[in-house]
Amino acid sequence: MNVQEFIREQVTTHPIVLFMKGTPQFPQCGFSAAVVQVLKQSGVTQVAAMNVLESDELRQGIKEYSNWPTIPQLYINGEFVGGCDIVKEMFENGELQQMLADAGVAGEA
Amino acid sequence: MFQASEIKRLIMAGLQCDFIEVEGDDGVHFQAIVVSPVFDGMSTLNQHRAVKATLGSLMGNEIHALGLKTYTPARWEVVRKELDL
Repeated sequence: MNVQEFIREQVTTHPIVLFMKGTPQFPQCGFSAAVVQVLKQSGVTQVAAMNVLESDELRQGIKEYSNWPTIPQLYINGEFVGGCDIVKEMFENGELQQMLADAGVAGEA
Repeated sequence: MFQASEIKRLIMAGLQCDFIEVEGDDGVHFQAIVVSPVFDGMSTLNQHRAVKATLGSLMGNEIHALGLKTYTPARWEVVRKELDL
């Protein structure tokens, strides 16, 4: 399985996947930490987090997969949602919560 | 290491901008407001893609992060008044 196939498998088998630097417990970048925080505030309890610092192949591969040059990257039900700015903006205007509810993946906020 | 002015120049070279402001003084993290008529009809995701595309492979490598606020000219008219700019 090449890295593109691996990514496709991850984002289609897990409802919420976050490609980030570090882990949700120990984020190693402020932007990754911000997305983790927004997901928590949205009531999300189950996130499949992929630490791109553990694999340079994954770190490059995810940029190609989404045609998006930076980390973090959030996927909901296989769809690329955005990076830190977009996720925060969508949280502030309620779009993210709606998207999570529509996807049936929001927990109790 | 990059200056905000250089980032601004690169974005303007690759994208028609009605308004652009770039800030950031550590050489790797920047924030920008970009207003372009090209954004009409695009999702926020694609507006951000269009800006980041002007920076090519610098984005995510030499440039660690570019915080973005993108607006269509019509939306900017509203936001500009709200921000009192």
